[in-house]
Amino acid sequence: MFLGKVIGEVWATRKMKDLEGKRLLVVQPLDTAGERPADMVKPVVAADPLGADLDEVVVVAFGKAARVAFGGDGDYAFEAAIVGIVDRGHVPSQDWFTAAEGAR
Amino acid sequence: MLLGTVVGQVWATRKEATLTGLRLLVIQPYLKGGGDSAETIVAVDPIGADVGERVLVVYGRAARHAIGRGHDIGFQSAIVAVVDGAEIAGDSVGQTAETDRRPGAKPGRKT
Repeated sequence: MFLGKVIGEVWATRKMKDLEGKRLLVVQPLDTAGERPADMVKPVVAADPLGADLDEVVVVAFGKAARVAFGGDGDYAFEAAIVGIVDRGHVPSQDWFTAAEGAR
Repeated sequence: MLLGTVVGQVWATRKEATLTGLRLLVIQPYLKGGGDSAETIVAVDPIGADVGERVLVVYGRAARHAIGRGHDIGFQSAIVAVVDGAEIAGDSVGQTAETDRRPGAKPGRKT
């Protein structure tokens, strides 16, 4: 599970059937050094059952937790899902959250 | 799941038996701002993506499900979608790199 900022959305017509109707958001992981070095880290595409907005800070889970977020533990063609939208955070030694908040 | 561009294909004669008949594509992950990732990924392609196309790649159980050969198989990543387009950090990402639009791109930046 990691914290990231929603930086975009992906659309696809040719896709696995169980991706139909699911919102796919692009999430850039936040790191302790602020946002610039994170540009070298590949963003994660996560299914979104919660309705997160652009620039919001979210919690992304993988695997079974991601499937449960969509109401089951069956076979899905995704392994990452947004399981939380962060209202606020407080990590005095790190500036990533204020940086993300400032962009909103 | 990650977004990437299909940059090639690989063939192997000697391989895990459960991989027989499957297409193996080489994918370069998309980085914010359109920069080139130093990393490449090999993924099974059950959809029929072409070189140059943007795709979504999943790992693990989702990948095994996408292939439809059960869960005792010798691979861990698969393509589950060919992307029509995306909006990422203000850039319009197309189905191929040729159709990208980067209104916020800095001069001299590789696109």
